[in-house]
Formats: sequence, C-alpha cells, structure tokens
Amino acid sequence: MPSVLKRINEAAKDKVFTVQDYFTLAWNSIRFIFVRPFYTSDLIQQMDAIGVGSLVIVLLTGFFTGMVLALQSAVQLKTFGATIYIGRLVAASMLRELGPVLAGLMVAGRVGSGIAAQLGSMRVTEQIDALNTLGTDPIKKLVTPRVLAALIMLPVLTVINDMVGIFGGNVIAVAYVGIPTSLYWRTVWEQIAAGGFSFHYVPNDFMQGLLKPFVFGGIIAVTGCYFGLNTKGGTEGVGVSTTRTVVSASITILIVDYFLTQLLLAIFSG
Amino acid sequence: MSDDPKKPKDPNEIPDPPKPSRPSGEIDRRREPPTGPKRRKEDELASMETQVFRTVRQQERQRLEKQRHVRNAIRAELAGDAPDELTRMAGMEDDGLLDPVIELDRVSLKFEVPILEDVSFVAHTGETIVVVGESGTGKSTILKLILRLLVPDDGRVMIDGDDITDLSFDEALDVRQKIGMVFQGAALFDSMTVYENIAYPLREHTRLKEDQIEERVREKLSFVDLDPDRVMHQLPSELSGGMKKRVGIARGMANNAEIMLYDEPTSGLDPLTTGTITRLIMKLQRELGVTSIVVSHDIRSSFRMATRVALLAERHIVFFGTPEEMTASEDEYIRDFLGGF
Repeated sequence: MPSVLKRINEAAKDKVFTVQDYFTLAWNSIRFIFVRPFYTSDLIQQMDAIGVGSLVIVLLTGFFTGMVLALQSAVQLKTFGATIYIGRLVAASMLRELGPVLAGLMVAGRVGSGIAAQLGSMRVTEQIDALNTLGTDPIKKLVTPRVLAALIMLPVLTVINDMVGIFGGNVIAVAYVGIPTSLYWRTVWEQIAAGGFSFHYVPNDFMQGLLKPFVFGGIIAVTGCYFGLNTKGGTEGVGVSTTRTVVSASITILIVDYFLTQLLLAIFSG
Repeated sequence: MSDDPKKPKDPNEIPDPPKPSRPSGEIDRRREPPTGPKRRKEDELASMETQVFRTVRQQERQRLEKQRHVRNAIRAELAGDAPDELTRMAGMEDDGLLDPVIELDRVSLKFEVPILEDVSFVAHTGETIVVVGESGTGKSTILKLILRLLVPDDGRVMIDGDDITDLSFDEALDVRQKIGMVFQGAALFDSMTVYENIAYPLREHTRLKEDQIEERVREKLSFVDLDPDRVMHQLPSELSGGMKKRVGIARGMANNAEIMLYDEPTSGLDPLTTGTITRLIMKLQRELGVTSIVVSHDIRSSFRMATRVALLAERHIVFFGTPEEMTASEDEYIRDFLGGF
C-alpha cells in the first residue's frame, strides 16, 4: 500500500515540477525580451517562419470557415426568413471566436510542431549544450525570439483570418443566398458597432479577438520550446516531443479560450 | 646526355637508401644534388626530404631533452628549500611542473543513482589528460562538470585556481569562454554555414570587425588542415564525419581557448581519420600549449596523445598516471581493460 501512495506522490510531484518548469521558461523567455544581447536577426527569421510561413494555411482556413459559416447559417436563417443577418453571424463568430481559435490551432499544428522538432533535434545532437559551452544562454538565443515572434505574428495572422473569413461569407451571401455585397457589409459593420468601442474607435469585438491570439501565440511558442528543450532519447524522442506539443498546445488553447472568453465578456460587457 | 659515370643501367633502379641515424643533428651537406636522369633526381630529392625531416625531429628531441634537464635541475634545487611538496612534484612523471589549470577536488555527483564519487585530479598547463573507462561510467559527466553544465553535489571544481562550483549562470557563461569543447557528434549548428559556426563565439563575445573575424576563421580552418575557400560556405550536412570533427575543433579554439575538452573525438571514425584527429589534438597541445581533457575509449589513440591517463571505474578514478605506468601495471582490472594492448 505505501508503495502505491509513494508512486502517486512522486507522479504528482513530477507534474507540479513540470508546470513549474513550464512557467519558469515562459517567464524567462519574456524577461529576456528586455535583456541584452538582442538577437534581432533571429527574431526576424522567426517572424518570417511563423508569420509569413503560416499565411497560406491561415488564408485557406479563414476563407473556407467563412464560407461554411455563411452556408450553414443561411440554411438555418432561411426558415425564419432572416437571411439578411448572415453578415452579423459570420462577423461575430469570426471576430470573437473562430478567427483567433482556428488561427491558433493551425499555427499550433504547423509552428508548434516545427519549434519542438527543431529544438528537440538540437538537444539530441548536443547543439543546445554547444550553445551553452560557447557562452550563450539557449533560452535567450532560441526561446525568446520564437516566443516574441509568435506574440507579434499570431494577432496579425488572426486579423488576416478574420478578414478572409468575412470575405468568404460575402462570397456565399452573394452567390448562394442572393444578398448584395453592400447589404452584407452593412450588417457586418452593424454587428461590430453593436459590441461597443474601446478608446472610442477600436471595436470591442476586435479587441477581444486580438487579445486572444496574443495569449495563444505565447502558449504555442512556449509549449513547443518546452517540449523541444526537454527532449530525451534520440530521434524517437523528437517525435514524441512534436506530438506532445501539438496535443498540449491545442488542448490548452481550447481550455484557455473558454476562460478568456468569460473574462473578456465580464470586462467588455459588464 | 649525362657525364655521371655511376648512372644506373636500369632506370627503375632504386638509388642508395639514406644512411641510418646520424650522430649529430646537422644536415648532411656532403650529399651533392644528383646529376642523373630525371627519375633518379626525384628519388634523390625525396630521400633528402626524409633526411631533413629526420634531422628536424632529432633537433626537436634534443631541445626537449635539454628542457627536461633544466627543469629537473630547477626542481632538484628547489626541493632543497621546500622538501615536502616539491619533492613530491619532482617525483611525479608529469613533464610540466606548471600551474594547475583544471582541478577536481573530491567531486561527487548523483542523479537517481550515484555517477561519480570522490573523484579528484589535476591538469597542469599544457597537459593532455585522457579519461578512459567503460561506457556509462560518467566520463562525459566530468566534462560537463568542468564546463559547469552540471554542479557537483559534493567537492569542488576549479579552473585557473577559481572555484566555479558556486557561480551564477551568467558568471558560468564567462568561465566557459576560456574553454573550447569538441562534442562527440561535433554539434555544429546545422542551420549555419561552417564560417558562421566558427565565427559564432567571436561574434558573440568579441568586438572584432567582420574582416578580422574572417581572418580568424581562415586561420583556424587552416590550422585544422581544411581549405578555407572550399569549406567555409558549406553547411555541416555537406561535410564528412572527420571534417565535421575538424570544424568542431576549429570552433572550439576560435576564441583562443586555453583549455580544450574533447568528448570521444575519435569515435565513429575510420583508422586514418582517427590518426588525423589524434595528431591534430597533439598539434594543439604542442604548438599552442593548450591544456586538454580527452574522454575516450580508444586506447591506442589515447596513449599517443596522453601525458597522463585517468581510468574511471565504478564511479571512482582507479588509476591516474602516465601511459607507460598504466601498461606496466599489474592490476588485474587495468590489464583486463587494456586487453593485451
């Protein structure tokens, strides 16, 4: 019996330490943004890889999600004769939820796994130790540029995702339901304006939609780096780290999204 | 055609072999350049070249012998004043009675299981200490302790007389700049070219201008016998195993490190390349006076380069001495380990 308790105790301790390590890594990576030396070229390279590299999948995701949203809502709204509200529905869903979450999930799959695989293979081929030996802090050189790039680029990708999604809805509204473009965009704007404005000019829906990807970006990059840096057991370990990153980051994004939504609704609606 | 009366009838006939060893270190000037046919001339030149090599080697040996005499004389003289310590050191077989550069003092380390227990040794300036032992005995751990990538549970590690055990992370980064490390798989950054790999420590820690960096990179590549123009812009994935190791050595010494650490420098290499890398490590020690710690299980190459050998078994250093002492040892484990070497 005591051995079972001991095992549970050790497993629990292990989990707690993992969480602690994860947050220490997150904290250090953010802290090093403000500490010299700055690896600007690494940052730009990562922004290119994370942002520009993910553009095509985000464009495709956004466009087809917008279209399918318009299509589904058209079928439902037709029964009430309210197809005119397609624009409102697409805009609300895209800006508040689907834009950030889908961009987050797509980037988690593409970039998170890439980060884990790259840092993982650097770990198993002793390149991380080599960095340390050459007097460089691997967190400063490898983690900080990736985290910062994700923090910057995910909101940008989300904005693109939102726009393309609403445009996709537009295509369906015109071609399938027969709503003129001008009317579609007017309902889109009505929806945005209905949410209210922060600082007089910035729509609240948009603010919510931008805060989320900022958090998601951090989750993706830190998770990828954490599993990458802690890779053990050769090339097989790299595969394990990659899988873990995608699964953990995706689930975390969905869970955090729920609580973040509650928080943001309380702030912006309350 | 030629007025040499001794011209051989058969043009393939090998000319007289060079005389064996010469008592003095002087170059033999009696031998006149041959006036025979072209082939004979070439052979003559080749043999002269061997002759010159032999002479230079002999001179070098004499110089070292002389140094040893002087050093022993100094030791003997000093020993009169401070008998205990210096007599002990004079009695040691080490060639350099010099400053201790790396010191491990009763170091112990354990993770889940004990890895090292009570491990102590000292490496003096210019020494090459080879740590040998079975796989999994914690040989590479010793290198990580010296680099302070690991901190011992007990005991102290000192570099140039400074205790590095309690340093902060940033202070440890400074200490590491004195040390060049060559990893088992070379650990070159695969996203960078050979040039960028070697330039990395320079860009990171010096204010050298780009042309000075290039000059240094070229110098280091030439030192490790690689053609800078050919390899500089290649990626590590385009290099062979031996070339990677050489680039790894060039990167380790880029910052003019005074200490070089090698983790299994010859593992996975063919016998010829093993020889090349071994010679390179010896060249670093001889020409630059670098202090080296080599972790290896290749006994043959270890014995060639080691000034002293440390044998690690069961978490302890069970033998520490010169290769000659090791081969002469009657200890059963050592005999088994050497396996009839």
